[in-house]
Amino acid sequence: MSSILQEIESQIAGVKTSVMKQNVGVVREIGDGVAKVEGLSDAMYNEMLDFGGGVTGLVLNLEETEVGAIVLGDYTGIKEGQEVRTTGKVLQVPVGMGLLGRVVNTLGMPVDDKGPLLTDKTYPVEKIAPGIIRRKSVSQPVQTGIMAIDAMIPIGRGQRELIIGDRSTGKSTICIDTIISNAHLNKAAREAGDKTYRPLYSIYVAVGQKQSNVANVIRVLEEAGALPYTIVVVASASDSATNQYLAPFAGCAMGEWFMDNGMDALIIYDDLSKHAVAYRQVSLVLKRPSGREAYPGDVFYLHSRLLERSARVSEKFGNGSLTALPVIETQAGDVSAYIPTNVISITDGQIFLETDLFYQGVRPAVSVGISVSRVGSAAQVKAMKQVAGRLKGELAQFRELAAFAQFGSDLDAKTQAQIERGKRIMEVFKQPPYNPIPIEVQVSVLWVAQNGFIDDVPVDKVKDFQGKLTDFLTTRKLQLLAKIQKEKALSDTLTAELKAAATEFKQTYK
Amino acid sequence: MNTSKQARHDAKQLLKSCRVAGDLDEAKVRQAVHQVIAAKPRGYVAILSHFLRLLKLDLARRTARVESPVPLTETQQAAIKSNLARRYQGGLIFDFAQNAKLIGGLRVQVGSDVFDGSVEARLADLGSSF
Repeated sequence: MSSILQEIESQIAGVKTSVMKQNVGVVREIGDGVAKVEGLSDAMYNEMLDFGGGVTGLVLNLEETEVGAIVLGDYTGIKEGQEVRTTGKVLQVPVGMGLLGRVVNTLGMPVDDKGPLLTDKTYPVEKIAPGIIRRKSVSQPVQTGIMAIDAMIPIGRGQRELIIGDRSTGKSTICIDTIISNAHLNKAAREAGDKTYRPLYSIYVAVGQKQSNVANVIRVLEEAGALPYTIVVVASASDSATNQYLAPFAGCAMGEWFMDNGMDALIIYDDLSKHAVAYRQVSLVLKRPSGREAYPGDVFYLHSRLLERSARVSEKFGNGSLTALPVIETQAGDVSAYIPTNVISITDGQIFLETDLFYQGVRPAVSVGISVSRVGSAAQVKAMKQVAGRLKGELAQFRELAAFAQFGSDLDAKTQAQIERGKRIMEVFKQPPYNPIPIEVQVSVLWVAQNGFIDDVPVDKVKDFQGKLTDFLTTRKLQLLAKIQKEKALSDTLTAELKAAATEFKQTYK
Repeated sequence: MNTSKQARHDAKQLLKSCRVAGDLDEAKVRQAVHQVIAAKPRGYVAILSHFLRLLKLDLARRTARVESPVPLTETQQAAIKSNLARRYQGGLIFDFAQNAKLIGGLRVQVGSDVFDGSVEARLADLGSSF
């Protein structure tokens, strides 16, 4: 009883008795989660407003006679004439390790019935990106576990790599695969007590997606044991446009905490097309002037300021990184539309997924020709560079030759061999979803493919050959794989061992 | 009602023309309204509606509403007036009102600034801290 009395006494003592100056306004108009408030002469841009009853707002428009604010939360209870107060604070979200394994909404409130968040740190949602002095070039790889990407379009820690394609082409699957791959690597390093390995934590931001899709993603992550290394930020299709607009920034703030504390994080914005649509809605309701396709004039800045916050910072500033994988959904493969071109120009490369390839059974349906990683090659593991250095060019050549060969012309032996090799490599790159391949296995398989060991395997048997080879390597040549993983380069000795292993396997393969 | 950009601009100009040394002149305001009604320029209803809104906002900005649970004495009112006039550099219109809900203390609102030293506000503060 005495403790309650003390608690109440301290709370009473904590209440300030001096007169405080407050800045108030009156709601003039409310609709679609956007309020127009008269008064509020001291309101600042991006300042939080108190609408009373636990409802908060965010100032987005400062006009001559009124303030335009977006309401965070339930706006249906707000009435015309209601009093609104400024708070002097900017919007903040909880950050820290306590968020890992949790599903939160735009404001960082848990939505997963796992109790309160175990963190007391917060970060502002809007923050200026690290400057040029703090930055360092990308030099460490992000292992996606997807052979086609790790070999030909490598991603580095701190890079922004766009994943673009039509609906249902496997964009989200690539992101989930990357999260799972890194969770497996984190887990393996922790179990092995490897102090040199830098874990990569993931943040998955679902913007405007169906709740069923988000539930499915969470289930997949949970089943793969990746959820403990992941934060899921949800602003689903049923959330207000304002929440959808803020979700990527909230997720980015959570990722920045890892970067600022010398850790590595990966953030996935799934997807920025819906984010742009949500921002367009907010802007139109705020009566901001509209431009092309009714998007506001600052839609480029919306995405550039978000993606600029992903960076690799130098050792002096903690050596952390935030890698971004923004997702853009195209309409009928049109990459030259407004939002896709904007995001393509902001990012450090793109992975383009083609519908035709997807339906031809090439999954992941990565279009090698127009997919590119502008900075990732500097971060690629040396062993992978050794086996896949020329692969992209060869595959592009194969595509061209294959198209030419369709005309039925007679082909010389060299061209024929190139086409046959290309067909087999295409098969090697096919990979089922949620099944990331460790980098040492990728290197070994690609070395075997590049050195003619699959040339005599029928194309329809290549997957079977690859599966059995992987089994052979992971069960009988574990030491060899461990050496590749450790040395991260193919020395002459390792190459000889790899050759011996491939020959041994080839003799037993049926 | 949606007011056009031109009407908003005209109303703003009208308001500007009614100022004398930064303060609104009532006689000029009346005269301006009469003249607009007489001349009936294009969109004059929208202009006047927006003009009225701007006037209301200007009035609210210059009005100091002082609420207390009991009526204030002349001396108290004079003290409040001089304090506020010092803070807001004059030109204020004072409105003293009685509000029993405050229980004790004063609540002063000048434009969108609120100085709430009432017992009601402190109790509300205390309530929200629990």
